[in-house]
Amino acid sequence: MKQVIALHINGEIHEVAVRPHDTLLHVLREELGLIGTKKGCDAGGCGCCTVLLEGKAVYSCMVFVMAAQNRKITTIEGLQENGRLDPLQEAFMQAGAVQCGYCTCGMIMSAKSFLSHQPDPSEQEIREGIAGNLCRCTGYQKIVDAIKMAAANKQTAPRM
Amino acid sequence: MSKMSIVGTSVLRPDAYDKVTGGMGFPINVRLPGMLHGKLLRSPYPHARVLRLDTSKAEKLPGVKAVLTPSEVPQIKFHPVFFAPTTANSMVRDMLILTDRPRFAGEPIAAVAATTAEIAEAATELIHVEYEMLPAVLDPEEAMKPGAPQLYEHAPNNIALRPSFSFGDLERGFQEADHIFENTYQTQRVHTCYMEPRVCVVDSDPQGNLKVWSSCQSLFGLREKLAFALGLPVGKVTAVKPPYIGGGFGGKLDLGFLEPIAALLSLKTRRPVRIEHTRYEDFISGARNPLKVHLKTGVKNDGTFTARYANSLLDTGSHATHGAVVLMVHGMYGFLLTYRCANQKWDGATVYTNNMIGGGFRGYGSPQAAFAVESQIDEICEKLHLDPIEFRLKNAHHESDPHPFDPGSKLDTYRFEDCLRQGAKEINWARRKPAASSPGTKKRGIGLATQPLWVSGCVGFPDIYEHSGAIIKLNVDGTADLSTATIDIGSGQTTILTQIAAQELGLAVESVRLCYADTQTAPFDAPSHASRVTYSSGNAVKAAARAARNRLCAIAATLLRESPDNLEVADGKVYVKGLPDKALSVSDVVKQAESPYVVMVPDGMQKTHLEHKGTIMGMASLAPTTNPSPATAEFVEVEVDTETGEVKVLRVVFAHDIGKVINPAGAEGQVEGGFQQGMGFALMENLLFDPTTGACLTADFLDYKMPTAMEMPPDIKSVFIESSEPSGPFGAKSLAEPCVIVPAPAIANAIYNAIGVRIRDLPITPEKILAALGKL
Repeated sequence: MKQVIALHINGEIHEVAVRPHDTLLHVLREELGLIGTKKGCDAGGCGCCTVLLEGKAVYSCMVFVMAAQNRKITTIEGLQENGRLDPLQEAFMQAGAVQCGYCTCGMIMSAKSFLSHQPDPSEQEIREGIAGNLCRCTGYQKIVDAIKMAAANKQTAPRM
Repeated sequence: MSKMSIVGTSVLRPDAYDKVTGGMGFPINVRLPGMLHGKLLRSPYPHARVLRLDTSKAEKLPGVKAVLTPSEVPQIKFHPVFFAPTTANSMVRDMLILTDRPRFAGEPIAAVAATTAEIAEAATELIHVEYEMLPAVLDPEEAMKPGAPQLYEHAPNNIALRPSFSFGDLERGFQEADHIFENTYQTQRVHTCYMEPRVCVVDSDPQGNLKVWSSCQSLFGLREKLAFALGLPVGKVTAVKPPYIGGGFGGKLDLGFLEPIAALLSLKTRRPVRIEHTRYEDFISGARNPLKVHLKTGVKNDGTFTARYANSLLDTGSHATHGAVVLMVHGMYGFLLTYRCANQKWDGATVYTNNMIGGGFRGYGSPQAAFAVESQIDEICEKLHLDPIEFRLKNAHHESDPHPFDPGSKLDTYRFEDCLRQGAKEINWARRKPAASSPGTKKRGIGLATQPLWVSGCVGFPDIYEHSGAIIKLNVDGTADLSTATIDIGSGQTTILTQIAAQELGLAVESVRLCYADTQTAPFDAPSHASRVTYSSGNAVKAAARAARNRLCAIAATLLRESPDNLEVADGKVYVKGLPDKALSVSDVVKQAESPYVVMVPDGMQKTHLEHKGTIMGMASLAPTTNPSPATAEFVEVEVDTETGEVKVLRVVFAHDIGKVINPAGAEGQVEGGFQQGMGFALMENLLFDPTTGACLTADFLDYKMPTAMEMPPDIKSVFIESSEPSGPFGAKSLAEPCVIVPAPAIANAIYNAIGVRIRDLPITPEKILAALGKL
């Protein structure tokens, strides 16, 4: 039996009918059309479905949607501010960190999470920060470069 | 006038903005109104006969719209491989869409379409199946023995194919040798691990025409294979090109079970049907075939090869599929043609087992060969105190030698020596120490491996498509629409083709866009595989752009009162050579072509030129005339912890001659990703199966270990030696595969250099290292 709950996503309240065992990933993609969040394995193994829950990166395939009620959810669709790309999005483009792009949104969300409490990470910290996100195209090198670039831009930019 | 250089520049990927903001274009996002969801019922047994299928309970489950059983599918045996014609003699056709004789644990025996995927899955569990268990064989050597369970009548002793090639006099070659080396090398089963699961949506109309969206590497291959398996003419099937897919690497180079099953379910229900693989289904659907390679090599004291023999045994699993071609590429391009030697022989066997089906994976048989060949060269050099670089150069082909696999032509551009020399300089090869000579418990070593020759596509191969096509049309705003069937599998095919078109048309790269295409609107293109797109599709795009440009210049010439030969196009303008001010914008010329013949002006009517009317466009469809070879050398430095057996790759240097580098950042990225796949193959990845039940034990990313950012070395350096290949678009050759082929032997050789221990079976796990060190 479905029940209607309210989810706080990207600054908006969404009322949505869900089943108790639905995952946050399922509801984002299949009920709300927020398809920027990708399904890669549906088992907490690849990181493609990473979103922010209260600013912290989580695998949305591993979160029951009921547990996401009354908590601030941010997806890739919520990163742009006033139509401007997030510095991470910009840096991923500029650094050549995007190939097939299937891991990209999850990767950006993980980076967003750890940059918020470690704005000036070392390379090792960046690698640890994305260790839960798999990529098969890039060898991670240009992804690490992009996160470094975004961290640097964020520090020098007047306001993000 | 400055000519902008687009080719050779790291332009932004045209798909990057979309991908960083959500990536709407992946096939996994395709949804149609009224769409149903399909699920497959798979055999839990590696070898069985289905005696009875009772679908009555499943059919009664609310939400279930159709159940499909083996008796309802066309009984047409097919091979699923996209690059080979369906009826090619070199391919083995041994698959059915659904079978009542499953030959691996996971082979589909029934399917359900329902309103949700969850209901469909629940319904598959309600199908009652009675199986007769058959004896299974999971080891290819056991499978060849007398008395082994037989998979097919057409393959006595389970041998699907047994090719053999020889040149010269092998026995004489061994007699001439000062030393003979014999070693056996074993590789494991690994998965491509594309991040986007295999997924498709198939829609049908009341007349039975099908439209298919799929995450796959070939639009026309999909159409041809799907139509054949269903017994339909290709005209009944339209495959729609996705803007991009979430990785392929060879793992989406064949028709899956999912597309024909979705098609039949759609025809049965008259609704669109979507099937998405779970990651478990992906892991059991195509992998790099395990190969056991026995090498016997004769050399002179100075390191000259006198005789080379290899015997390769390939486990193709329960269907031949790619196994036939993988074995041939392995033998020819991985072994026979790599180095010069007058006396050579290779025997191969593709053997059926009750394992999962093999598939394509970057390198296509050569990673297995290179692990053997390049490891053994290191063993020979070690024994004979020869330098591994000089050894390879002594036996290698050289620039302007006859082309080893394209008789009648030469290796016009082939900078193998430069790759070795510059790579050695970059890694500082001179500081490499004798094996196992570094002090302490953590020991460092440097190793190298090469893929001396490789392909730029498949021209010259039997039974493999290679032509490409493109259509370009210019718009009144000075932009161009490029239509090709080439699928961007992640490595930037769209970017490269856009750059080639823009350069040839004299437009800004942002002014060229890849547009919608399907098998009805775009000309044929062979799959995105075999390191072919930049070279082959690139040549077709360049030819189409040239045709459009010629028409553009012909019209501009009359407007400028000049000869077309005296015009150039650059920066969006057509101008007279040497007179940059005498110019028209491309937009103005296109407007002339597209305007009404007679236009109203303030004074009345004015005629334009009737002969200018018509859309300015160009098209081409062609096969390349030759198959130029790139050259690759890779150097790695590792650190081996002799107490834990852990191997850390510290530094990597790749040196490639790929001809002109069209997009340097894209090329670097492809190499860096290639190393990740090669390193995973070398050190950790292994698809494991229960030896008695045949069930996959590593069917998710927690059990199947591939390198994360933590395991990857912080420094992968790419050196590109830019030759200018006369047959390639703007001098380009190819890049994609050698960077995946060479890491395993390079790492194995570096490990030997570090600890003096030779591991001949992959992956080189800490356990194997400790055992080899006598610590286990």
